Parts: sequence; C-alpha cells; structure tokens
Amino acid sequence: MLGRLTARQKVVYYLLLILLAIFILFPVYYMLIVSLKLPKDIYRSPSLLPINATLQNYVVLFTKQNFLQNIRNSLVVSISATLISVFISCLAAYSLVRLRYRYRDWIGRLILFTYLTPGALLFIPLAVIIARLQLGNKLEGLIFVYLTFSAPLSTWLMMGYFRSIPADLEEQAMVDGSTRLGALFRIVLPLATPGLIAVSVFTFTGAWNELLYALIFITSPSKQTVPVAVSYLITGDVFRWGLIMAGSVSAALPVMVLYYLGQRFVVQGLATGAVKG
Amino acid sequence: MEQVAPSPSPIQAKRRRFSMYQRDSMLGYFLVAPVVICLSILVIYPFFFAIWISFTDRMIGQGGNFIGLGNYRYLFNWIDFQATVRNTIVLVVSLQSMKLVLGLSIAMLLNQEIRGRQLWRSLILIPWAMPAFVAFITWKLLFYPQGGAFNFILLQTGLAETHVGFLSSKALAMPSVITASFWRGFPFWVISFLAALQNVPQELYEASAIDGAGPWQRFRHVTVPSIRHVVLVVVLLSTIWTTNSFEAVWLMTQGGPSNATMTFPVLAYFGLQNLRIAEAASVSVSMLPIFGFLAFIVAKLLQED
Repeated sequence: MLGRLTARQKVVYYLLLILLAIFILFPVYYMLIVSLKLPKDIYRSPSLLPINATLQNYVVLFTKQNFLQNIRNSLVVSISATLISVFISCLAAYSLVRLRYRYRDWIGRLILFTYLTPGALLFIPLAVIIARLQLGNKLEGLIFVYLTFSAPLSTWLMMGYFRSIPADLEEQAMVDGSTRLGALFRIVLPLATPGLIAVSVFTFTGAWNELLYALIFITSPSKQTVPVAVSYLITGDVFRWGLIMAGSVSAALPVMVLYYLGQRFVVQGLATGAVKG
Repeated sequence: MEQVAPSPSPIQAKRRRFSMYQRDSMLGYFLVAPVVICLSILVIYPFFFAIWISFTDRMIGQGGNFIGLGNYRYLFNWIDFQATVRNTIVLVVSLQSMKLVLGLSIAMLLNQEIRGRQLWRSLILIPWAMPAFVAFITWKLLFYPQGGAFNFILLQTGLAETHVGFLSSKALAMPSVITASFWRGFPFWVISFLAALQNVPQELYEASAIDGAGPWQRFRHVTVPSIRHVVLVVVLLSTIWTTNSFEAVWLMTQGGPSNATMTFPVLAYFGLQNLRIAEAASVSVSMLPIFGFLAFIVAKLLQED
C-alpha cells in the first residue's frame, strides 16, 4: 500500500497467495479429473491424478441421459427470463431515474425491498399462486417466477447506470424533435451498454443456476432444467460420481465462460450497483 | 388592422390539457408499471399471503381455517425448529466472521504491489462464477468417504486411520457445510472490499505516515473508517443471503445427520414436500422480524449514496 515491499514481505505474500490459489483451484481440479474417470478407478484405485482418463461419462451423459433436453430447457428459461427482465427493468429504471411523478420514491423503495426479500420466504405462497395460475410444471411458470429475483436486481443496477449518464444528452435530442422514448432507445441505452451486459450476465446466470424454484415447480423429467437434473443424480442410492461431475462441469462451463467474458462489466456492476447504489 | 388571435384548434386544446409535467408523469407510471405489476403478483402479494397462511391450518389442495398462533406455538416446542434456530446462529456467526476477517485480509493482500494482480483477481472470481449447486455438489464429493479427495489424502498421509465422516458425523457436518459455503461465498466479499480499498485516497496514507503512524494505526484510523460503509452493506446483504441459502445444506446433508445442519429454507422445503404448507410458511415467516430489521438497515445504507 505504501512504498515498496521488503524481500521478506514478498516471500510471505507470495506464499499466502499460493495457498489461496490451491484452496480455490483444488475443488475445480478434482471436479474435472473425477469427471474423466470410470467408477472402478474412482473407488478401487483412488488417486489425485487423472489416471485412465476417458470421456465416457460425457458420452453417457449426452446420449443415454436426458441431458440435452435439460440444457435446452435451461436455455429457453434463462434466455427468456433475461430478455423479459432486462426489457421491463430498463423501462422501470429509466422512469424512476428521469421522470417525476407522485409515489416515485415509494416505488423505488418497494423495488429495493423486493430485491432483499429472500426466495426462502416466497416459495411457499408462490407454490399456491403458480398452481392457481395454471403455470405449474411449465417452463413459462418458471420464467415468470424468475422475475422475483431478476427484475428488482436489474432495475436497481440499471438505475445506477442511468444516473451516471448526463441528462443533457437526451434533453438535446428532445429539443431536436425526438420523443422521450426515442431518446431512451437511441441515446441512453447505447450509452448504458456496459450496464446492459452486466445485468444480462447476472440475470442469465441467476436463472441458469437456480435450483429451489425449479425443484418445486417442475415435476415432469422432460421439463427439468440442468440444476434439477444434476441434483437428482445425487439422490440415488449409488452415487455415480463420474457422471455427476461430468454433469457439473457441463453445467458450470457456459456460465463461467460468460462470467469471464463479461468480467469487467460484472465487477463494475457489482461495485456501482449492488454495493454502492 | 387588428390581428385576430387564431382560436386553438381542437388538437392543440387537447394537447394543452396535459402539461409537460403531467405527460412525464403519465409516461413514468406507464414505464414502471410492468415491473410493479410483476413484483406485486410475485413478491408483495406472496409476502403477505405467506404471513396469512402461517396463521391457518392450510394443507396443499385444501383451504384452511384461521387458527391464530397455533402453528407458532407448535414451532417453538418442535425439536427440529429449535435445532434450526441454533444451527442458523452458529452458521451465520461463524461463516460471516470468517468471511469478514479472511476476506478483508485477502483484499488487502491483493491490494499490495504484487506481480500479476489482474490474474489473481480473476482467480478469486472462480468460486463465485461457479454455479452454487455445482460448487456444493463438488464439495460433497470432496468430503465423501469413498472417492472423496480429503479422505484419500488423510488415509494416504496416515493422518487418519479410518474414513472420516465429514458430512455424516454430527460434530463435523456443520463445520464442513461452513467450509464449503466459505469457499463459494468469500469472493463476493474480497471483490467488494478490494473496490472499496482502491477508493481510499492515497494521500491519507501518506499523511498518516508522515505523522508517524504505524501499519496498525494506519489500518485502524485510515482504512477502517474509509471502507466502513461498504463492509457494513456486504455483511448485511450476505447475512440475508446466508440465512436463506438452500443449496448448500440441501445438496450436502439435507439437514442431517439428525438435524445437525437443518436450516430455515430446508425445514420449510420439507414442510412443503409433506404438503403441510401452513407449518412451512410459519417456519419462513418466523425469521421475518430479523430479516425485516436487516433489510431496513441495508435499504437505508443503499439509498444513502
């Protein structure tokens, strides 16, 4: 923090960093190597090395299990939830930041509270409501329910981004004859692209990773999303760890790649929106 | 010749009925409406509905009758619920203090003049970028007696003579859940703290160094006051999430062995599985006072800046 580090400090710091790296990477490494092993190697000759590595688990997962269908379901749900949520959240955030009307502050406060309301409190009443709306065991129902966490977060984050864009730009456009909505879509949204990316990544990964609601609302195997399918693999009597880890790797890979591609925006979004308002 | 003011055309008259302010406010309601309607159906109504259900004897498939505090009276004498309260306190207090102390230390370490800072920061993000359900299934495997890495290492090095039941022994199950939750949860803290540390004006450190402040005094009087706000928000937000996290316990222990890791969401989920939704709702609602208190403070802090 201040000045250069002494040689001794350096050694200590790098040692600590290496320990940290091992702590972070070991579970990832073990997940990968077990996904490449057959049961006999996992149980009879356990090892920390990828001996007799094979892609057999992945072949079984994608050809003998319903996994492709699960991925398709997850993609449908996550993409739809993202598009809907980002669209309505942008409109709401713009309205809350730029337009003046009665109860505006109350609506803003309400959205913040819905963001903080835990899903663990909501899943019981939602089970009744979703059944009443005839949305049980439907992907549409899941998409709708995912708005509980994605819409408040997206709105809250987008409000932060819109606030950072000077209002003069749209006012100029409006003087030149553009309507407010025209200014929103042509001037403000393009400037808020980093925000849109961050919000999309958050929403997509949130929906892709969601387990509790999917477990409750989806009952038929053909409609299960990836988290549900993988979690059902560990509730059997015999744990087929190779297969389970192959499923885990396949489920984690897309979102982790997405995270790292959008890392800059995600971290920025985290810093401007979720933590600093 | 006198100029006659043209009488306003009907269209203009209509436009003039709404001032700029009124048009803005109508557009405002119109744009915010979709989110407000969705959240009313999905969060606000269910929120009050959950409270109402918890005062009835409702089961899935049948409407219930109002029974007042019946469910709550039952809860407080129910052994599973008592275990849930105890476990949640242990889980939250130990996990949050670990994340606070180690998270801040790691953030300060990464804020030093080290080589490849960017690389280390990307590394930190890995557990956070990984889906929670994948992280906890992987940790279940690591802890598992057959095929698990930790038991293999302990047996190979002779540190243990028989398999250690990390998730199946009453004493070790909770520490194991805490360890896995730490792994998955600490990056959010480190990244937030790091962002806050980078915003501390460098001059403050220089000034205090000139005044002869040692490293501890600099930490105590410069670092802590500058990042206090962010730390508080992170602690509170994460406490709300931790109390309500379902995946860790559900995937690793399902609340066992004999309630040693039972938490609110898992107990409520079991209630729903048994179709006893009134009881399940009262489990969730009973943590509402604490949640409300935390949420109130977070909301205040978030709106301050």
